[in-house]
Amino acid sequence: MKSPLAWYIAGPLIGLIVPLLLILKEKQFGISSSYRYLGSKLFKKVNYFNYKSESDAWQFQFAIGLILAGLIIPQLIDVEAITTLEANTSYGLIFEKIYSSSNILFFFIGGLFVGFGSRYANGCTAGHCIMGISQFSVSSIVSTVCFFIGGLFVSYIVIPFLF
Amino acid sequence: MKFILTLILGFAFGTVLLATQAFSWFRIQQMFRFESFHMYGVLFSAIATAAISLIIIKKFKVKSINGNPIEVTPKKLDLKANIIGGLLFGIGWGLTGACSAPLYILIGLHYEIGIALFLGAMVGVYLFGIFDSRKKNL
Repeated sequence: MKSPLAWYIAGPLIGLIVPLLLILKEKQFGISSSYRYLGSKLFKKVNYFNYKSESDAWQFQFAIGLILAGLIIPQLIDVEAITTLEANTSYGLIFEKIYSSSNILFFFIGGLFVGFGSRYANGCTAGHCIMGISQFSVSSIVSTVCFFIGGLFVSYIVIPFLF
Repeated sequence: MKFILTLILGFAFGTVLLATQAFSWFRIQQMFRFESFHMYGVLFSAIATAAISLIIIKKFKVKSINGNPIEVTPKKLDLKANIIGGLLFGIGWGLTGACSAPLYILIGLHYEIGIALFLGAMVGVYLFGIFDSRKKNL
């Protein structure tokens, strides 16, 4: 598989997770509450983590499914064909090396922002961009716009400076 | 059994993200640099599908598998949190090319990077927990 699954197939499949979760699990789509759920097991002394965490347990189970997909699916389809396919674009050269172990600290620091920011904003791409905007929620629209402002800043200013 | 169902949903969701390369650092950079329509197409069509599904659920009063009415509540508006948290999350997303779902996928795909990301996120959440608990004491 040299090119990605077309957006007009992948997007609707991703969107269908919203009604599926509501009908099968009575849950609103989100993923970043899994961090808070794990925190409720690890950091019991901090107030923020003393909450009814069982309502978020499903997000942790969902995350295990995601990890398994990351383990198994690449054995079946070539998910990273893009390294050779689009190596000529401006990020091609960086991409070939981005997931190498020398970048562990870079990803750890990025992860700090992902964890802190998603909980501060009360949601991530799943809960705000997909679940929230599909309800036309103002808080999710504001958050998503800010996700993009942060991402644009990094992409245009920080990444070219780092690599 | 409920656990297995959720796990399968996560697996299916991860499979689509992998197949469409939405987990990829490269795709996210392309998106933020407006070099490709791909990720915008994925996001817009996902939101449209979810929105139409919600309208159908509301209009036909679709019930859950347990026979309960389906209620959907939007997240509360908190401008300061949404803006500052949103900007910080965006910085993390831009740096790592991973939001929460790809973060877990990467644990399976490139475990060194994925675990570094995951540990970073957990420390980030811990710091937020302390920040949030202090904020409420003031």
